[in-house]
Amino acid sequence: MTVSAIRACLPLLILAVTSVAVMIGIAIQRNHRATVVISLAGLALSFFSLWTAYSEAPAQITSLLVIDQYALLYMGFLLAASSAVVLLAFPYLENRSEHKEEFYLLAILATVGSMVLAASSHMASFFLGLELLSISLYALISYPRTQDLPLEAGIKYLVLAASSSAFLLFGLALIYIAQGTMEFRRMAGFSMDSAGGFAYLAGLVLVVTGIGFKLAVVPFHLWTPDVYQGAPVPVTAFVATVSKGGVFAFLLRWLRAGGAPSEPVTLILGIIAIASMLVGNLLALRQTNIKRLLAYSSIAHMGYFLVAVVAGGALGKAAATYYLVAYITTILGAFGCLLALGNGAVETETFDDVRGLLWRRPVLASVFTAMILSLAGIPLTAGFLGKFYVLAAGASATAWLLVVVLIISSTIGLVYYLRIIVAMFADSEGTAEEVKASRLGIGPSLVLALLTLGLVVLGVYPGPLWNGIRAAAAALG
Amino acid sequence: MLFTLGLIGLLTRRNLIFTLMSVEVMLNASGLAFVAGSYQWGRPDGQIMFLFILAMAAAEVSVGLALFLQFHRRHPALDSDTASEMRG
Repeated sequence: MTVSAIRACLPLLILAVTSVAVMIGIAIQRNHRATVVISLAGLALSFFSLWTAYSEAPAQITSLLVIDQYALLYMGFLLAASSAVVLLAFPYLENRSEHKEEFYLLAILATVGSMVLAASSHMASFFLGLELLSISLYALISYPRTQDLPLEAGIKYLVLAASSSAFLLFGLALIYIAQGTMEFRRMAGFSMDSAGGFAYLAGLVLVVTGIGFKLAVVPFHLWTPDVYQGAPVPVTAFVATVSKGGVFAFLLRWLRAGGAPSEPVTLILGIIAIASMLVGNLLALRQTNIKRLLAYSSIAHMGYFLVAVVAGGALGKAAATYYLVAYITTILGAFGCLLALGNGAVETETFDDVRGLLWRRPVLASVFTAMILSLAGIPLTAGFLGKFYVLAAGASATAWLLVVVLIISSTIGLVYYLRIIVAMFADSEGTAEEVKASRLGIGPSLVLALLTLGLVVLGVYPGPLWNGIRAAAAALG
Repeated sequence: MLFTLGLIGLLTRRNLIFTLMSVEVMLNASGLAFVAGSYQWGRPDGQIMFLFILAMAAAEVSVGLALFLQFHRRHPALDSDTASEMRG
């Protein structure tokens, strides 16, 4: 390995070393605060080393990883999201009785996996990144292991994720048998009519199944509501942002690298997108639990992403990435508010818990409202512009069916988003017992403030980020 | 063939241990396919992939068994139908 290759994958190396450092730290002495400091320092160092890596980009490291502008951009998002989760999780874990330190270890390992996904250009690195991510997630989801719901969520996720990995692997094996190579680059230009065409097609379908499971799109979405509800809130935020972000980065690269022929895969993804948008939004209407509601809304949001992916082209990729940034910002903010409302022992979950929130904690309520409005895609928020770019991409690719379904389903979405807001603004007469307002620590307040700021900036002044994303998407090819 | 067998096991068995075993069968089926592919093309990378699969399957099973152990303390039977408190 040359010096320049090491410089290029410095972000990955630093974060991997951080996980070891956290492990050793735990072995020497358990100290919650110190563990958080080490984790955050590692995440920050890794984030700043992105610039070092940028000076080397684009670099192909062996045949496994490719560090280009696109991968670095996604790594930046993932690292930022992961740091936000760590900051938000600190006060939450402080109030709980379990061992606290391993949470950060697992979160960092999962982030490494997700970053590897964003940079992978080979089946092996894709598979290793994905499994690093999912095995950490099994443990994270059932982290409060003395409670019933997290355990149940963890087992459900484990069984389904393990079988989806098996599908994915079998698909990869079929593609390998058909083509004799594991590098995505070399798969371009493979003709379906040649020998092994059928095995190749079957493999592609199985791989799409595996990826679809991770992204939680219809019809592979069944685990989502249970896991969102059962998992502790910081973990839910982590699943919604880091895990999906990494898989999404990979999906875009894979489609781009010509590893997939456009026709059949585009068709499948189009159908999945339509089903996700409709099913997600319709089922969300019935929910009374906010975490479950956000789960169904995330299914719908993944459908919106896929519209941009199917639209393809430079605009489609950039729109998908922009939407992902907007979504990460928003959903982190929303879960951050839920975290701030609970006090560790009890979690805020139902509409009743937020009823009359505006009169009890006005600032928090307005932040939460902003996040919900952004999810719904109201102008002046990041969510609106994200949706706008996706629509533009869809329209420029003349995928009218997708565009129409997107518009209809986001209108349906407004209904349940507004229900949350109405509940917050309602009179708090009914809920007599006042939840003891726990002071929000400096970390979470800072994160929430930054997220809100980001939300508005992205919604009003998208220029710089949009240009950066376009440049990165162009680097992807 | 092995893959289908695992899938059938996954769908029909209610016992969590058997579910895990079926997943293992499916994973090993894909491992076998990789080895067959590497033999067909005369390249070693499929066999390396099989080693990765083995390692990952071991990690998955250990986490899975740990979770099942916790679950077993609450519900004497390892029946996956009892793990359905969340609905909707």
